[in-house]
Amino acid sequence: MHELSIAQNIIDAISEQCRKSGYSRIESVNIRIGRASGIMSDALLFAFDAIKSESIAEGAVLHIEEVPVSGRCSECKSDFIVQEVYILSCPHCGGSSFRIVAGREMDIIDMEVS
Amino acid sequence: MKVKVVTKILEANERIANENRRIFDNAGLYVINLMSGPGAGKTSVLEKSLDASTGLRIGVIEGDIAGSDDAERISRCGAPVVQINTGGACHLDANMIYEVLGDLPLQDLDLLVIENVGNLVCPAEFNLGKNMKVMVVSIAEGHDKPLKYPLMFQESSALILNKIDLAPYLDVELEKIRRDASLLNPKLKIFEVSCRTGQGLPEWIAWLKEQTLKLS
Repeated sequence: MHELSIAQNIIDAISEQCRKSGYSRIESVNIRIGRASGIMSDALLFAFDAIKSESIAEGAVLHIEEVPVSGRCSECKSDFIVQEVYILSCPHCGGSSFRIVAGREMDIIDMEVS
Repeated sequence: MKVKVVTKILEANERIANENRRIFDNAGLYVINLMSGPGAGKTSVLEKSLDASTGLRIGVIEGDIAGSDDAERISRCGAPVVQINTGGACHLDANMIYEVLGDLPLQDLDLLVIENVGNLVCPAEFNLGKNMKVMVVSIAEGHDKPLKYPLMFQESSALILNKIDLAPYLDVELEKIRRDASLLNPKLKIFEVSCRTGQGLPEWIAWLKEQTLKLS
C-alpha cells in the first residue's frame, strides 16, 4: 500500500549517492524485495516510473529481484524455502518453532550510472 | 559503470527510528506502537487504560489521516497528547514521530503510546523506534484476519481482541482467531476485552503496567 513512499526512498538514496560521487545519470537500479515484505513489485515499478521524472533517475529502469521466504526449523534442523508468503509451520516436521531467515528484504543492491 | 549501493530501502527511516529510540531511552520511556484496522477500538482501549488508576504517567501520539477527534478524546482523560495528521499517508513513519517529540513532556512520562493510523497493512512495516507493538482486532472484523494480515500478527507482542461482548451475536469463531494468531506468533499474548462492559480490561492493564515498570 505504500509503494509510493518506498519508491521515493529508493530515489532519495540513489540520488544522494550520485551527488556524493559526482555521477550525472542513472541508467538502471537493482533492488531485492522479499516476498514477505508486503511490497507488490508491479505497484512499486509503477510508482517508481511515476515519480522519477525531474530527478537524476529520470531515465532509470528499476529491476526487482524477488526473494522467496525461507526458514530454518529449530526442531528438525532442516532448512526450507516455501512458495507462500508466510510460514505457519515447518514443511518437513510440522513444528511451529522456526526462524525466518529470508523473505523480508528491502535492499538496494547496485546501479548503473554514467 | 556499475556502482554498489548496498543500503536498506528504508535506511532513512531506520536512522531516524534509532534516534527516536535514543531519545526514548534517555527519558526512561516505555513506548508502544498501537495498531489496528479502522474502528477496532484503539482509542477506546487507550481511554480505558488512561482511566485506570495505574499510577503510570502516560503520554499519547495520535496518528490519523485527518481530524483531531481522537486527540480530543485522549485530552479529556487528562493525558498529554499530540495529534499527527498524515494528510493521506496510510501509516506513521519515524520522522513524523521525531518531529512531535518536542511537544510532549517526555521526561515526566513513564509510557508513551503511539496510536497508529487505522490500517492492518503498512503500520507494521515502519519502525518508529518503539519498544513494543500491540494490535487491536475487534471480533466483529471476522476470524479470517490473522491469515489475511499475517505480518501485523507476527510483529506484535500483544493482541487485544476487543468487543468480546458481541460474541453471542456474531458467527465469528474466536478459537480460529486464537489458533491462527498463535500459529503465526507463538509468543503473542492475547487479551480478550470489552471496552463496553469492562471485561478483560484489568488483565490487559495489569500487563501493560508490568511491562512499563520492567523498564524503569
